[in-house]
Amino acid sequence: MILRIARKELLDLSRDGRFRVLSALVLVVSVVSLAAGWKTYTDLAAQHRTAQQATRDQWLNQPKKNPHSAAHYGVYAFKPASQMAMVDTGIDPYVGVAVWLEAHKQNEMKYRPAQDRTAVQRFGSMNGAEVLQVLVPLFIVLMAFSAFAGEREQGTLRQLLSVGARPRDLALGKALGIAGGLGLILLPATVLCVVALALSTGEGLLADDPWRVVALGAVYLVYFALVTALALWVSAWASSSRLALVVLLTFWFANSVVASRVVSDLAAWLHPTPSAVEFQKALEADLNNEQEMEERLERKREALLKQYNVASVDALPIAFSGVSLQEGEEHGNEVFDKHFGALFDQYDRQNRVFQWSAIAAPMLATRGLSMGLSGTDFGQHRHFITAAESYRRDIQRTLNGDIAKNQKAGQVYMAGRELWDQVPPFTYEPPPAGWVLRQYSLALLVLGAWLVGAVALMMRAATTALVD
Amino acid sequence: MLEAHALTKRYNGVTALNALTLTVAPGDVFCLLGANGAGKTTTINLFLNFIAPTSGTALVNGVDVTKEPLETKRHLAYIPETVMLYKNLTGLENLEYFAALAGKPDLTREQLVGYFREVGLAVEAADRRVGTYSKGMRQKVGIAIALAKGAKALLLDEPTSGLDPKASNEFSDLLRRLSGSGVAVLMATHDLFRAKESGTRVGIMKHGTLVAQHTTDEFGHADLERIYLEHMRD
Repeated sequence: MILRIARKELLDLSRDGRFRVLSALVLVVSVVSLAAGWKTYTDLAAQHRTAQQATRDQWLNQPKKNPHSAAHYGVYAFKPASQMAMVDTGIDPYVGVAVWLEAHKQNEMKYRPAQDRTAVQRFGSMNGAEVLQVLVPLFIVLMAFSAFAGEREQGTLRQLLSVGARPRDLALGKALGIAGGLGLILLPATVLCVVALALSTGEGLLADDPWRVVALGAVYLVYFALVTALALWVSAWASSSRLALVVLLTFWFANSVVASRVVSDLAAWLHPTPSAVEFQKALEADLNNEQEMEERLERKREALLKQYNVASVDALPIAFSGVSLQEGEEHGNEVFDKHFGALFDQYDRQNRVFQWSAIAAPMLATRGLSMGLSGTDFGQHRHFITAAESYRRDIQRTLNGDIAKNQKAGQVYMAGRELWDQVPPFTYEPPPAGWVLRQYSLALLVLGAWLVGAVALMMRAATTALVD
Repeated sequence: MLEAHALTKRYNGVTALNALTLTVAPGDVFCLLGANGAGKTTTINLFLNFIAPTSGTALVNGVDVTKEPLETKRHLAYIPETVMLYKNLTGLENLEYFAALAGKPDLTREQLVGYFREVGLAVEAADRRVGTYSKGMRQKVGIAIALAKGAKALLLDEPTSGLDPKASNEFSDLLRRLSGSGVAVLMATHDLFRAKESGTRVGIMKHGTLVAQHTTDEFGHADLERIYLEHMRD
């Protein structure tokens, strides 16, 4: 029965000229946004490969020099482009793709695509996530608003109920019909997307973590299902299709357009972050704390003298200049951990605000999960920064350790290729899908609750819907 | 087949239907007459369970329509003043859809076309979209749905108003054939001529109350009109 109803709804829709124009439009926008995402990804991936190789070659081929000069020379760490970023670019265009790893400093990421854009592009770029989060819900609303209200106005609802159609079946059948209409557009787009992914990597289908792809698909399906159920609920409840449309468009606008802006202000107000200048000032104040540096170095000196049982640092079997450099690093690391840690924790708290706000606007849960599963959210940005910083610290430890071991008093120590080879190339493994889902457990819960609530409301409204 | 026992409907203290008691047996064509607002449509809506009675019961095939709304609708077919269909679908697709929802999902195209022919619709019209149908054609599709469904009781709400005399006459013929095959018919109408022609009994309603019941073979057209107007006098 439900399938029969779905089939009729789809047939009815497919003969509606407005539906055809609209779906053609959505299909075109989907394909264009996908193509743009694909281009961005392949460009980025190619740049990444070349740049990664270039920085490694530069590092290995640097001439003989003092290891500390090499530390200042530094290397770049590049964040690998996530395939799924083709669908959702998330915060990637704003946070940069590379970080310079040098002595004494935890640098911020550089090379933000958004910096290269003109003001017009900022508004004009439409990525897959926006199509899925903004355009598709609008499309659902336009398909569903008259589902019950329109039939009531035309009198066909009377006719339907008089033959003994079960209202519950009607609601489910109509929902399925809308899903079918949506499938006609999204299915080709999805197939294209998977093929594009496969072509772009040459590593076969779903070379990235396939669970991410599955989870992302499931999240969007749940979101579309809940929007459909909400739309049918309003259509069954509203006294006219015009009212249903107004209510649904208001919800769509508030949920898809306004909510993220409002909540972003709310999150910044609840968990403020310092301005870049303030942050830099506070960081430098702690870094340049001479007294603490002195004390720290003094403690280390005492410990070493005791360990080797000698009277002065000149009698140590290792070069104290290397130790001193490393102590400077350790001091810096503590300061960086404190300041960046506090800043990042604040961003994480802001992220929680977004997840909680999904109780009012389910789009926010979808948005977070979409970015998360695409590997382009702040959580994974932080995950990469942590990995790169840990690599930087390893480099410094290796170089300073080499100075401590090989530097002889009164001479200029030069190291060569053997030392550069001891620094492994930077590799980065993004976290698995499960890690992402744990970060967004609240959003998942809220999204699930929305779905259950919306379906319950739809069922109830369908059974109690008045025929006139 | 159709029974009402002290069936009453009040809206905010206004009585739309007052203790209606009537029985329509298989083969009966019961015509409800009365001015607008006399309670005719209310009666039909109560049998369809589209509205809930304030008191009393409506039974279809001995089953209370408020207790088993889906079960009782299996026996019913409803034809309003204009049968509403999906204009983007063809006549046959409409018939197939409504028949499927009424519990007949497996009808073949031949069977469906058979019903089309039976109600006097041109077979060529079957594959045309309903948007192009005249009102008389829509009413016939309504009857075809009732036939396909195998309805045992027909609820008609002024089904012939606005039809030209020929279409109206064809419709009455169809009704007679249906009642001849044992279908119980309850029809609300303003058309005294049709009531006398195709009805077996008439009931006159006034301000929600059934004030008189007669069998139509008791008198001629002129008598029916006289009796009706007498009742309408306040």
